Amino acid sequence: MKEDCKKYFERISEYLDGELDDEICREIEAHLKECPECRECLDSLKRTIELCKEAGKETIPSDIHERLRSNLREILNRNLK
Amino acid sequence: MKRMATETSDHHLIAEFKAGSMEAMEKIVERYENQVFTFGLRMCGHVQDAEDIVQETFLNAFRYLDRFREETKLRNWLFKIATRACLRKRRKKKCEPDREISLETFSHKNGSHARYEIPDWSDDPSDNVLRSELKQAIDAAVLSLPTKYRLVFNLRDLEDFNTEETAEILGITSQSVKTRLHRARVFLREKISNHYEERSVQ
Repeated sequence: MKEDCKKYFERISEYLDGELDDEICREIEAHLKECPECRECLDSLKRTIELCKEAGKETIPSDIHERLRSNLREILNRNLK
Repeated sequence: MKRMATETSDHHLIAEFKAGSMEAMEKIVERYENQVFTFGLRMCGHVQDAEDIVQETFLNAFRYLDRFREETKLRNWLFKIATRACLRKRRKKKCEPDREISLETFSHKNGSHARYEIPDWSDDPSDNVLRSELKQAIDAAVLSLPTKYRLVFNLRDLEDFNTEETAEILGITSQSVKTRLHRARVFLREKISNHYEERSVQ
């Protein structure tokens, strides 16, 4: 990895999250135009985040949902008395 | 606007609960249980642990509601409590100390740019088996992140807290959040890509 690529690689997440100021964004965009490897690096990181987001969706099982309510009611009622 | 309405209504429900309404308590639980459960599961990897975490989080939240400051968002406060519950669970299991993730390992792979094959998440129901296998691999990759990176990744990328909120929840600086998040993402890309490549070879 070239020195330039390494420098931008370290900030690529901040770039993706829109957390960099305009000047550094322009620098990164100019570099991305010239460097297919860094474009691929950015793209694969973006896809990793999207994939993890999709896979990360969970729903609380109905038995836990029920138990949680009845336990909370019981304990909190006891505490309030 | 919607967020503002939720906050107003959270504060309203808190006031009702303080006045003795169990229905208000249930409405708060209804609103946040899925998110706290998911967070617990992605931090600990076991349904039983996630159940303990979600219960401990709500119990502590309702017990110590007097400490909740009006200017805070209820969701952020709940995640602060949930984070502590996850860390306590981890300590009880006497886990190894956190490893550090170094970017050097990834930026100099084979001395050049590495190629990463990252699959797409298919919404096609006929891909259920593939999707479930991919989900298992991703879950395992997230769980293999050292705790301090996993916390940041889960809060930022899965729960959508912003950098400042994550820093506040974890009691670390915004710069640490950014550094850990980037390293966590790079680590996950490597793991997922390796899994995908191995799978393609088989």
